[in-house]
Amino acid sequence: MKVFVNDREVNLITGMTVKHALIAASLIDEIKQGKKVYDEMGHEIGPGGALMEGSKIYVK
Amino acid sequence: MFQTKRVKPILIFCFVLLIAATLASCTTQREVRILHINDFHGFADGYKPYGSDEIQGGLAELAARADELRAEKPTLFLAAGDMVQGNNWANLFQGKSSIEAMNAMNFDAMVVGNHEFDFGQAILKERIGEANFPVLGANVIGLSTLKPYVMKDLDGLTITVIGVVTGDTPVTTHPKNVTGLQFLPPEDTVTKYVRELRGKSDIVVVLSHLGFSADTDLAKKVDGIDVIVGGHSHTKVEKPALVGKTFIVQAFEHGKVLGVLDLTVENGRIIQASSRLESIKPIGKENKEVAAIVTRYQRQVDAVMNETVGEALADLDGANVRLQETNLGNLVTDVMRNVSGADAAIINGGTIRTSIKQGSIRVSNVYAVVPFDNYIVAIKLTGRQIRDTLEHGVSAIEEEEGRFPQVSGLIFTYDRKGPKGKRVKEVFIAGKPLVADKEYTVATNDFLAAGGDGYKAFGDSVKSSKDYAVIGGAMKGEKLIYSDSGRWLRDVVMDYIKTQQTVSPKVEGRIKEVR
Repeated sequence: MKVFVNDREVNLITGMTVKHALIAASLIDEIKQGKKVYDEMGHEIGPGGALMEGSKIYVK
Repeated sequence: MFQTKRVKPILIFCFVLLIAATLASCTTQREVRILHINDFHGFADGYKPYGSDEIQGGLAELAARADELRAEKPTLFLAAGDMVQGNNWANLFQGKSSIEAMNAMNFDAMVVGNHEFDFGQAILKERIGEANFPVLGANVIGLSTLKPYVMKDLDGLTITVIGVVTGDTPVTTHPKNVTGLQFLPPEDTVTKYVRELRGKSDIVVVLSHLGFSADTDLAKKVDGIDVIVGGHSHTKVEKPALVGKTFIVQAFEHGKVLGVLDLTVENGRIIQASSRLESIKPIGKENKEVAAIVTRYQRQVDAVMNETVGEALADLDGANVRLQETNLGNLVTDVMRNVSGADAAIINGGTIRTSIKQGSIRVSNVYAVVPFDNYIVAIKLTGRQIRDTLEHGVSAIEEEEGRFPQVSGLIFTYDRKGPKGKRVKEVFIAGKPLVADKEYTVATNDFLAAGGDGYKAFGDSVKSSKDYAVIGGAMKGEKLIYSDSGRWLRDVVMDYIKTQQTVSPKVEGRIKEVR
């Protein structure tokens, strides 16, 4: 499953979540330091949130 | 004559009054409320999320607020899935605690999430049997205790709630949990039921465990849905999204917020919708009944933590897992290899956080050793990728980083003084030299599979794989052979020790330093 974190492509096993995308993008520590994750529509999403093929998420 | 003259205007007046009353009744506005949560995952007590100094959530507080809101107008209380699995408070009782609390909270309906299947179908049937509310799953074929929909009368309005769950369920739980089940495309299922029920309903709600993006697609493709109450993507939808004529809401995760959707209905049409997410914090009023349930199960969690699950016949070394092979590393990786049926297992030493002393092993000891919410996956790697993985594992041994590997099913030698990337010497799998182009199945944890601690080979393998298909209710993939996100590694290790009663793993020369 291909997803995008801050526009960078990462590849995950189907069923993996936002947390795994952040690990793959080496951004998980930024979340621990207080940054949040948002979907394309600007909604905040939790680390356990499901992703789909082509999902785009942003760490801010 | 006189009487007739007097009666006639009265009759006309009454007739006009009747018409006016009838018209007025036709245009009566009704207000109803939908309260909703999703992806609770057993977080009964509030906690501090990553990066927050503030405790959020708390089921007893959420219940009390729901009671207050419910008293204001006719209300439905809905749960959009993933309620019974996740935190120890739910897992240790296979979700029974969640259902008991939900009964006390008077939920009106729930849809199954993918994680409702994590304890197997027999347990799910038990949980459904315990629920005082219908558990929905219109697109799940083969589990008769799931209802496709429920119709509720709310202040004279007929509200139909149709439940659907993600078709990815078979790839997010152990295949045996969904044996014999079929997950139909949600769009087809919803289309069918909306066609059947729209005419009999004032409001059609889809209770969805599909994720926000899929909910949006569903609203675009299927006419006749008034509201989608969603879950699965843990999305914090502060204001309802309007797609066509469908309102979409979702309430984040873990009971940290309570979703409130107020609808004004006139002539069978929603003329106004407003929604909000109310933050839940453990500082407000508590619902006493729910608080008692939370506390009772938490005490049982504490008791379970003290239970003895087996005996260690030797000290189990978790202190040196970043430096060398250890017997505890061997135990954990052996369990992972056995459970997944892989040829080998490789984890980062950082997975293991502490040691266990010789003697009785308590649940809390196992949970301290592997405390993270990690699960087992197994992926096909070439011999070359296995070598690269081991090279990465020993590339920072000087810094004692968590990447140092612990292994099962393979033996390797390395020279710590060698240049990084060329330290690994001999590698054997099942007693035979590693073949660079041959594929082997390797178990690991989801953290490494996602590229954690700089491990790249698992992700590269997944990237090169054709995508997965769900065939006959089980996941089939080119490179992925095992994935069980519903069972934490700590619980797998605990169950293994329980079964064995005694454990005495040894350092066997799986990882040897040479010069």
